[in-house]
Amino acid sequence: MKRVASFFISIAVLVVSGTVNADVPITKWGKPSLQGNWDFRTVTPFQRPASFADKEFLTPEEVEEFEAAVVAGRAARATVEFDGEYDQQDLDVGYNQFYLDQGTTMTTTMRTSQLIFPENGRMPSMTDRGRETAQYFRALQRRSPQGPEDRNLYDRCILGFNAGPPMRSGAYNNIMKLVQTEGHVAIMVEMVNDHRIIPTDGGGDDLPEDMRLWKGDSKGYWDGDTFVVSTKNFTHLSRFSGTGETMVLTERFTRLDENRLEYEWTVEDLEMFEDKFTAVVEMQLTEDDVYEYACHEANYAMPLMLSGARKQEAQGIEDDTWLPSWSR
Amino acid sequence: MIFLKQISWIIITAVTLIACSQESTAPANAPANEVAAVESFAAGPPDLSGIWQVMNTASWNLEGHTASKMPVTTVLGAFGGIPAGMSVIEGGEIPYLPDALEQRDRNRADWNNLDPVAKCYIPGVPRSTYMPWPFQILQTETEIFIAYEFGSNSRSIFMNRPGTQAPLPSWMGYSLGSWEGDTLVVDVTSQMSDTWLDASGNYHGPNLVVEERYTLIDDNHIQYEATIDDPDVYSRPWTISMPLYRRIEDGARLLEYKCVEFGEDLLYDHLRREYDGPKALDGSIQEDV
Repeated sequence: MKRVASFFISIAVLVVSGTVNADVPITKWGKPSLQGNWDFRTVTPFQRPASFADKEFLTPEEVEEFEAAVVAGRAARATVEFDGEYDQQDLDVGYNQFYLDQGTTMTTTMRTSQLIFPENGRMPSMTDRGRETAQYFRALQRRSPQGPEDRNLYDRCILGFNAGPPMRSGAYNNIMKLVQTEGHVAIMVEMVNDHRIIPTDGGGDDLPEDMRLWKGDSKGYWDGDTFVVSTKNFTHLSRFSGTGETMVLTERFTRLDENRLEYEWTVEDLEMFEDKFTAVVEMQLTEDDVYEYACHEANYAMPLMLSGARKQEAQGIEDDTWLPSWSR
Repeated sequence: MIFLKQISWIIITAVTLIACSQESTAPANAPANEVAAVESFAAGPPDLSGIWQVMNTASWNLEGHTASKMPVTTVLGAFGGIPAGMSVIEGGEIPYLPDALEQRDRNRADWNNLDPVAKCYIPGVPRSTYMPWPFQILQTETEIFIAYEFGSNSRSIFMNRPGTQAPLPSWMGYSLGSWEGDTLVVDVTSQMSDTWLDASGNYHGPNLVVEERYTLIDDNHIQYEATIDDPDVYSRPWTISMPLYRRIEDGARLLEYKCVEFGEDLLYDHLRREYDGPKALDGSIQEDV
């Protein structure tokens, strides 16, 4: 109820004033403060479910119904009696509800999906090149891993599955820290504890084409009260939802009020997708800490996977079921 | 000279304060470093923000050492040597307890297999400071964030939580900061015992306590000190000291050194399909390996 009231108050303020909400903290140098720890958990679907068809927004009552259904679904799964049978998905996931932390609420945009472009809330089609590349990586991860390079960057703890860039709500660790000075903004996402240090003055010359970074090269500037970050020079392995090294990411951070940060991002990679795609969520300020997630230091899964693969080979077993069920 | 500079800062600051009500305002034509100094003088503590790096060999060995070879010279040749360096320790040597010294020697005998940093594990504090990669400080009133290029690691120094404790140990530990005059003092506790202090087997135990001191001695230099205490390992607290140099070149910035992909070779090479021993940089296999 509090959130609904906040939503309407925000709309009213914006309509009346046409400017940034007076509740937005301001830095000494006159820009909106982005600093803090931000919770980006949400149960809002990334893509619009078919059941919502052309419906872009939900009513407050529909939001409550959707959230209640999500919570009820989890509770049902958590209490199901184990019948001694299991399927591959149980083995792939390896987590129960205790470890998952996906939140219980929709993002306060009250939209039916995080994606707002294409207008149907669905991902654009892949190009032929995009499909071929995706098939290549699926084949690589389907086979018994010959070495760590066969596995995805999340298994290797090189990138975080929800840390992007761009950041997107995932299974757990959906929290990021922003630290802001006049000259730089640091983004540190708990998942794999990775950071980007983004200059606020436009960032100077572009990196040469052949200098590729796992998280790309980010440069920022202020567009009024919105901090805009442009990122390119990704590696061909970075692959956000199937993108390639020509991906250009534009992120827009707008502090809406004391507790909300609008995060809108657009991915453009016309080599892999027929069109750009844009998503928006509203992150919530949190008093929770961002903890150290020492992923690589505790990556027991990688040596176990490789050991298992070698054991299969020694026994003459050919296994092409290494692709996680959520990637099939 | 420093005294004259301070007087000029005071004058500039006074003029600035009289002319402006905004503390972030500074002479428009002043060089960036002077602007930072003027701002910080007006606002309180010095501004340590910037990109910094050591220029020493402490990451190889905190104690004085001559050059030596690593067990990779068969593939790297002259690139495979450890450079010589003077001790950065007050008094020259680490005051180990007798048993702990024996453990240090055992570590040293097999350091390339045992050193956590060779595996790309988080180096902890103070080792992160003197790794031979730059790091960037973002200073705010409530939190000082340090981003390290090595491993894309980072840590937060909390300036507004005196007396609090970490909820659990971590590789980087728990850092609480305060200002003693113009010196940033950071108490670091709750570090995992898995980190080492350098690549020569120097180590600590689970009861490590580190007090760091960052003092901006001029626009482009910080004097860094760290006092290291662990009564299970050392006979007394001991202190290292070294300058940190500001990276002043145009375009200075942090890049990525995601060392996981390099550490994987050490950790998992023996688990690769058709593993056939260590390889040269070009993928060929040396006959004498």
